[in-house]
Formats: sequence, C-alpha cells, structure tokens
Amino acid sequence: MTASSSGALPQPRRFLRLLNFRDSLWLLAPIATLYGIFALIPFALIVRFAFADGGTHFATVLESRILVRVATNTVVISLMTTVVALVLGYILAAGLWRAGPKMQRVMLAFVMLPFWTAVLIKNFAWAALLQDNGLANTILQGLGLTNGPVTLLHNRLAVIIGMVHYVLPYAVFPIYSAMQAIDRKVERAARSLGAGTPSVIWFVILPLTLPGVYSAALLVFVVSVGFFITPVILGSPADMMIANLVNYYVRELVDFNAGAALALMILGAVVPLIVLQQSMGRGGRHGAH
Amino acid sequence: MSAPRRLEVNEVWKSYGGDLYAVRDVSFVLEPGEFLTLLGPSGSGKTTTLMMIAGFETVSRGSIRIDGRDIADQSPEHRNFGIVFQGYALFPHMNVAENVAFPLRMKGMGKRERLIKAAEMLEKVGLEGFAQRRPHELSGGQQQRVALSRALVFDPDALLLDEPLGALDRKLREQLQIEIKELQKRIGISVLLVTHDQEEAMMMSDRIAVMADGGIVQMGTPADVYLHPATPFVAGFLGETNFLPGLCQGASEGYVSVKFRNGEIGRARPPRFGGVPATGDKALVSIRPERVRILKPGETMDSVIEGRVVSGTFLGRHARYIVEAEGQQVVVSTTEWSEATAVPPGTAVRLGWSSDDAQSLADVKV
Repeated sequence: MTASSSGALPQPRRFLRLLNFRDSLWLLAPIATLYGIFALIPFALIVRFAFADGGTHFATVLESRILVRVATNTVVISLMTTVVALVLGYILAAGLWRAGPKMQRVMLAFVMLPFWTAVLIKNFAWAALLQDNGLANTILQGLGLTNGPVTLLHNRLAVIIGMVHYVLPYAVFPIYSAMQAIDRKVERAARSLGAGTPSVIWFVILPLTLPGVYSAALLVFVVSVGFFITPVILGSPADMMIANLVNYYVRELVDFNAGAALALMILGAVVPLIVLQQSMGRGGRHGAH
Repeated sequence: MSAPRRLEVNEVWKSYGGDLYAVRDVSFVLEPGEFLTLLGPSGSGKTTTLMMIAGFETVSRGSIRIDGRDIADQSPEHRNFGIVFQGYALFPHMNVAENVAFPLRMKGMGKRERLIKAAEMLEKVGLEGFAQRRPHELSGGQQQRVALSRALVFDPDALLLDEPLGALDRKLREQLQIEIKELQKRIGISVLLVTHDQEEAMMMSDRIAVMADGGIVQMGTPADVYLHPATPFVAGFLGETNFLPGLCQGASEGYVSVKFRNGEIGRARPPRFGGVPATGDKALVSIRPERVRILKPGETMDSVIEGRVVSGTFLGRHARYIVEAEGQQVVVSTTEWSEATAVPPGTAVRLGWSSDDAQSLADVKV
C-alpha cells in the first residue's frame, strides 16, 4: 500500500481524499501483519505441504484404517457435547435473562469464567475431580451410592464433561441475545390472551429463541470438532478425535504432508458450517425490526 | 357475543414501597358497553391503573371487580380482558390468522373452528385476505387492526387499550379512532382507553377521567369536562383556555361574580368542588377562547370586559385574536372572520361571554 502510493500521483486531490477515506484502514496494519504472519503464511504452507506430490497425501489419509473411526468419534462426541451444551446453555441463558441486575452480573461472571481459563487448567481440574480418589468419587461413596470408586476418568463421559465446560459460553450467548431481543410486551400479550407460563414458553419464548439456538448449535459443534487436548487428558485412546489424528501424523509418523492434507479436509468439512452460522445471525430474527 | 360486564375499580392504590404512590385512591365504574378514557400526562398513573386491571401490576390496596367478583388476586391469564398494547405486541413468528386464533387456542378450541372464528373477526376489521401475512409485512394501521382482532376474538369482559394509536401518524390515527369507535358500538363491548392525547379522548369517549399525580381529578362526559373543568390542571390539559384571576364578589342565582384586576366584574359558574368561595376570596375563572366574543358596538352579554387588540391571525378553520385585557393577554377564537370585518391591532374592543361558558376553578394544585 505504501509502496504504490509513493509512486506517481496524477491527481493529488483525489489521492488526498483516498488517504482520508483509508485513514481507518491504516489502523488495521498491525493486526493485518500479525494475521498474515501467524495465519495466512502458515495456511499457505499447509496447502503446499498437502498438495506436494499431487494428491498422494490425501490418498494416504483416506486409506488410513483409523480415519473412519476417528471421524465418527469426532462427530458423535461433538454432537453429544452440542446437545448437552444447548440444554444447559438454554437454562443458563434463561436464568441470566430473568435475573435481577445484581444476580445477572454474578451469573455472567460464572458463565465467562471458562472463557478466561486456559483449557489445560480446566482439563486438569476435571481430571482431579473425576479420578478414582477425586472429589466426585469421594462424594458418591460418602453418600453411600457406590461401594468402590466409579471410573469417571479416561472415558467418553469425561471428554464430554470437559468439552461442555469449555463450549458453554458459546452456547449461552447466541441464545441469550435472542432472548433479549424478545419484546416483553409480546409475553404480556400472550398472558392476557390466556397463556400460562408453560404455554408462554412453548408457544412464544421457544419459537422466538430458536434462531439463537440454531446459531449456538452450529457454533458449539464447529468449536467441538477442533478439540485436541481434552480427549488426550480426559479420554481414553478409544476417544481419539480428528485433531489428534493430525497430531499423530505430524508428531508420531513425522508425515507433515499427510497431516496437512487431513487438516485441509477438516477445514473443508467445517467451513460450510461456519458460513451457515454466520449467515443465520442476520436472517434468523423473523424479520422483526 | 356474550354480554359485556361491569368493571368496577374501587379505591385502588399502588405503591412501590414507601410513601410514594403511583396510583392513589382511584375509583370508577366501566359500565357495560361504555367507552371510558383515562386521560393524563405521563406519570399520572393511568397506565399503572390499566396494568393493575390487566393483572400485570399488583394492587396495593382496594379492589377490582367484574360483575361484583373481586379479581385483584387473579393472574393475567385467568382474567378475561382483551388488551391492545402500545406497539401492538403481535407475535412476530405467527401469521395474522395464527395471531388472532391464539387466544382461542389457549382456550382449547380446535384448529378448524378457531381459524374460522379468526377469519370472521378479521373480516369485521377489513383484513380478509391478510390471514397468511406475517406482522412485519403489514402497515402500522393493519397491525393495529390485527391487535384489535386478537383482543376481541375471545369475547373478553372488556377491551383495554394502552395508547394504541401513539405510533401512527395523525391522519391514520384519526381514521382509526373512528374505526375503533364504530367497531366498539357494533360489537357492544366496554372499552377502557389510556391516552395522553386529549383530542383522541374527546373524540372516542363516552366519559373521560382526567388523571394527574396518580389520582382522578375529574370525571365526566367530554363536553362536561371540557366546558366545565374543575381545576386549573384540567382546564389547561384539555385544549386551550384563558385563566382570569380575581376576587370573589359574592354568589347569586347559581353564579359567582368575580372582580378582575382592572375592577371589572364578570360572572361565571361556581367551582365544581370545594364549595362556593366566600366574598373576598381569591378566584380563578377559565374561559375557552371560542367562548369569548369581541362585541359589536351596542351589543352586550352577561359579562363584559374592555381590552385592546394586540394581533389577529387567520388560521383557516378559525381566526385567533390576542387581546390585552385585565392586565394580561386574552385569546379569542372566532369562526366569524372576513377581511372586511377583521379587527386591526390597536383597536379598543369589548369582550363578552355568557356566564354559563365561564367556569371558576377550585383552588387546588391539580
């Protein structure tokens, strides 16, 4: 940009206007540089790795015997995480919506907490809670519900617990903002027309928040598909997810090309979902003002 | 259509804690088939009163009765009022027919039956053919009619309207005022309207209750409240008026005589409440501009004061003079105006009025 503008300037006035118009764009230069160095260049490298030697690396990945298993794991775990996160997220969003201003601030802090905590810390915390002599088992035995320790760690349940904890804010906020967009008078109108609380929820609140739920579902699913460290710490080898397979190619087999090919395949699967999620935010509000 | 019922609001108070009352000692009866308006500025307690009747606000003291049965403890969904909210509050995710059929659905009516009833209702408001539209595809006036249909379709005990025309432009507002009034007469339902628009209140109501500071100041027919206001607030809130201060010179034959600042004496009706003032008491007389006349030479009326024309303006429907009299400006509005008879500024004139058109006011804040 700088190089071209220091060249020939046939119309100085027009150039000045251009400079004016572009003023704000200059402020983006640092982030654009960072983004270029840390995202675009690595991405270009991945594409180059993947397509080196034609399509052979894609073939390598597709022929892998564990690909289907890992992909199925990923979809099943992500779907389960999404469902659990949506149910919990909806309840949390509703609580947040209905809470008084003070309570709202406290609840927001708790919803946001997983956002500000590193994923490793969260995972190890869950590992500590779920292990055989951890808090969960101590309580279960203390209550006399079980005799010996129940295996809560290194299985699919633990992975889903850890993932739900992480993705919960992604579920809460789209739903919460859909709820906030509801005119309270609409709810009052429903009441005045004979709707009790269950009817108000079923016929008015739920349908009006559905676009938020769909948006949250896609967001949570997309985020879930990329999980990598949680299956390692909280899961068993049988719970291997697709990101772990990339890691396996790169670090165990030192096959950068196959890793890059798989990464591109994941990207190709997820991008349509991201596009869908992004377009929903605009179109999903029943055309209300 | 079931017969409308009698709504009785009895000594109702509303406080949000402490000694601050949003509504104080409000009582009125909405007779079956009557159109009653709560008219007042914002903060006068009119909307709070409506919301207590609807059940969205609790009643601190007093009772709200339908045909003698107290409903103050019932939740909104168990009361039977059709409400049109400010901004209509239509369900954005339902089409027009579903919106109107919603209250019937809540009553457990079958789909076929309720859609037929909804269609009949929509026909009454001239919206046949709009059943499949979504609310956002309709104009403001059409949305308003859908809201009305939805509030009427389930035979409510009364229709409660909360500033239902506030969002519309003037012309459409006037048209809908007439439509609502006609619909009300045709269906025979009782209506309680809340508005701050005095013209709307005058146009639609059988009776108007003027509210201020949480209480009803005066209640009566539009003509009664307009022509014989009880207090300075009512006189000033409903249209334009001239306030002439003076001292009471005694009462006779049902009128009070008031001596104005310049020593001239005029007669007026006694105050609506607070009793007839004693001789020598301060008095305040309200005379509407269209009830004051500029007298022709030799002409006389019950009350006559002298003044001098400051300005005269022709406004189309009427002309408006400002006359300096009794040490203040008096506004005179007349429909008898032609370029030949216009009184030029600076002319000394006599102003006159009939004693029945002047109203002395009670000495209260509102």
